[in-house]
Amino acid sequence: MMNKTGLIALLLLGFAGLYPLFVDSAWLAVGTTFLVFACVAFSQDIILGRAGVFHMGHAMFFGLGAYTTAILNVQFGWAILATWIPSVVIPMACAFALVAPIIHLRGDYLLVATIGFNIIFIQILENDVFGLTGGPNGLFGIDVVHVFGYDFSSQIHMYYMAFILLGITLFIMRSLDRSKFGRAMFYIHKDDIAAQSMGISLRYYKLYAFILGAGIAGAAGSMFSVQYSAVSPEAFNVTQSIMFFTIVLVGGSASLPGVLIGTFVMFVLPEVFREFETARYLVFGVAMILTMILRPRGIWPVKFGNIPSFLKKGAK
Amino acid sequence: MDIFLQQMVNGLTIGSLYALVALGYTMVYGVMRLINFAHGDLVAFSAFVGLSVYGSLFSEGTTSLLAVVSVFLLSALVVAFVGVLLERLAYRPLRTAPRLSAVVSALGAGLVIQNSVMLIWGPNMKIFPTDFFPSTLWSVGGIVITFTQVMILSLSSVLMVGLYFFINQTKIGTAIRAVAIDQDAAKLMGINVNRIVMIIFIIGSALGAVAGLFIGAYYRGITFDMGWMYGLNAFVAAIMGGIGNIPGAMLGGLLLGLFNAMITGYISTQWAETFTFVLLIVILVFRPTGILGEKVAEKV
Amino acid sequence: MSEYLLEIQNVSKLFSGLVAIDNLSMKVKKGQIYGIIGPNGAGKTTLFNCITGIYTPEIGQILWKGKDIKGISPYKIAGLGILRTFQTIRLFSEMSVAENIMSGRHIKSKQRWYNGIIPTPAYFKDEKYQWTKVGELMEFFNLSLYATTPAGDLSYGIQRRIEMARALAAEPELLILDEPAAGLNENETIELTEMIRKIQAMGVTIMMIEHDMEMVMSLSEYITVINFGAKISEGVPSFVQADPKVVEAYIGSDEEDEDA
Repeated sequence: MMNKTGLIALLLLGFAGLYPLFVDSAWLAVGTTFLVFACVAFSQDIILGRAGVFHMGHAMFFGLGAYTTAILNVQFGWAILATWIPSVVIPMACAFALVAPIIHLRGDYLLVATIGFNIIFIQILENDVFGLTGGPNGLFGIDVVHVFGYDFSSQIHMYYMAFILLGITLFIMRSLDRSKFGRAMFYIHKDDIAAQSMGISLRYYKLYAFILGAGIAGAAGSMFSVQYSAVSPEAFNVTQSIMFFTIVLVGGSASLPGVLIGTFVMFVLPEVFREFETARYLVFGVAMILTMILRPRGIWPVKFGNIPSFLKKGAK
Repeated sequence: MDIFLQQMVNGLTIGSLYALVALGYTMVYGVMRLINFAHGDLVAFSAFVGLSVYGSLFSEGTTSLLAVVSVFLLSALVVAFVGVLLERLAYRPLRTAPRLSAVVSALGAGLVIQNSVMLIWGPNMKIFPTDFFPSTLWSVGGIVITFTQVMILSLSSVLMVGLYFFINQTKIGTAIRAVAIDQDAAKLMGINVNRIVMIIFIIGSALGAVAGLFIGAYYRGITFDMGWMYGLNAFVAAIMGGIGNIPGAMLGGLLLGLFNAMITGYISTQWAETFTFVLLIVILVFRPTGILGEKVAEKV
Repeated sequence: MSEYLLEIQNVSKLFSGLVAIDNLSMKVKKGQIYGIIGPNGAGKTTLFNCITGIYTPEIGQILWKGKDIKGISPYKIAGLGILRTFQTIRLFSEMSVAENIMSGRHIKSKQRWYNGIIPTPAYFKDEKYQWTKVGELMEFFNLSLYATTPAGDLSYGIQRRIEMARALAAEPELLILDEPAAGLNENETIELTEMIRKIQAMGVTIMMIEHDMEMVMSLSEYITVINFGAKISEGVPSFVQADPKVVEAYIGSDEEDEDA
């Protein structure tokens, strides 16, 4: 017997799987980017929604992944496939190196420090350090994925690669939620003193969240650079970080459907209303305020109580 | 040495502007524990309001003391009104909600203000009238000080000293400090918290409005999206000083202004923001709650 | 190796110049129920916060099995086997009762770092085992009915039980209870007394702060009385009860928690 949420999930999966058959190339690209952004939003949610760390610089990790693939491919001629591992590992290493010294900062202080990292990252890109990043224009001419002489070059290929990436991300989210790691993040989020008194190290689990989040964002960044075959700094600036931050809170932190809805609302809807160029962000701002007033915990808030069924038997 | 002194003057000027804006952030934070992300956009809004007030009441070439004073008063009034409206509509309904919900609401409010400015005044840069302040300048021992700079330095000092005494010496100031320490206890003591919050938004927005007009007069070019950049710098200043702490915001603003001026004067303009944030992060590594921020121990 | 599980030696804790704990010493034997009483504001909770690493005392030593643990971070203290409850209940109130108790299993879980990303057979085994343990604890504390209920939705008495279950889930050697009977009605207090006896029977050493004199006197084997941060008396319950200094301290203060 399938429950309601499961049914909705199955319908969504079917829709997402068949989506490329129904749409033109512009909407196909929007769909691909939606999948990529959803991955980034989930990775932001690990840090913000689960570990509860106020992090407003996530576009940097997304950008690190994108630029790793772009630089290794364009400047050093690596195959895209070979850049995948560095595009995950480098953001993870940076997350550790940058965040470890400041992980003890309280909420808002950490928030502004993460904004700072993002801004420094953009200045490094724009100033074309070592002639690697291509400056304000970025890098273009990024290759596609070749496997055994077969080119994954069409937009449909891009879509399904992003689809698989989102699948992997969801698998990780599920594993995380059902492990002591995901639970520890919730405990330190909800009450850090109680969590510590249960033997949970704040530092370890906050860093775990950051490093895992950075890795997923890096993978998504690599995918993003291949999809557009170009990268430029403005795709990874603080405005983007704010978007990922908002996606999580508007959708519902730590809630898988919530983050998907958030990504849809914050990224796809603006694409739909593209023709109302000037007024749309005004409406958007009003919508953000109203959403928070009407649904302070997001459109689809997280539900706890995810415990094995044998424990539910005696429960009322 | 000349560059140094010149950059000192420039730095103090910018620093005063940052400090004025930072006060708005820090006062709201002190009472509501909210980063008012819309504050920077209010500053930009003020510059445009000032431009329109000037344009509709006076014209270039007829600037007088009356003109300048009325521009300042009317802009401050309009911006303070919008600030109060902002609190009523976007923040008050969220006072008991999770903290980050109010942050998102503030980000949304920032978008609303910024895009309203764009719809009203257009997306292009507007130029502040050249004779808003007299173009007099003084040359003292190799350094140049403009009339605008003197105005900025003196008026901001007066406002900051005034605010300091207002907060520390008056009954309302005491109430503000009480609300900042413990809202519930303040309520029990008969303090009307809603009224205090309104006063905070009036003062904060008005100070931001003054800063916005100064930015127009000093840099001349104003754009609808400039609030983000000034807002961020001022917010960084508030954090450096210790957010929620009023002298901290003043100190942070002046410190950041001077630091920026020295970096751009001696090292590079390309890396100015990087230096700003490196300084911030270094300060936070050694003083996790800012220079004047107090160490907060949670009661167990 | 010392014969005492926990020794507090000449500990003082200051808060911006004010003395919260004043040269306090006590020795807790393994398997004991050790009571700490004293008027409100005497520094009892501060002492617990010093033992559990939330505060670091300026002076003195805290010996756990003979080793100084002063200044060690709280999560490591828990790892040593010292677990606590809070006077002001600190549950993860949005989370279910079962998830709350599961937090106590954290340090007992053998999951590896990669299990947050990918499950392995060992992970499944561990996960099942930990939840089974949670189930047993819910049974023991009569909480099975509320397994999926958010902890914050439950009554005060039940929340106190959840806190104890959570601490006990970590299989502590020393269980520190900060006013476990506060806010409980008479029946709940009797149940609690029984439960604490059962926990002691499992071999757990217990330290507790309690204002309910009847309960603390009947349970404790040894009692220290604190006033203004300093020890004013110690001994077996009958001795402490009769000590004129204790009587004076209680009459001299506004304390009237006997029947709370």
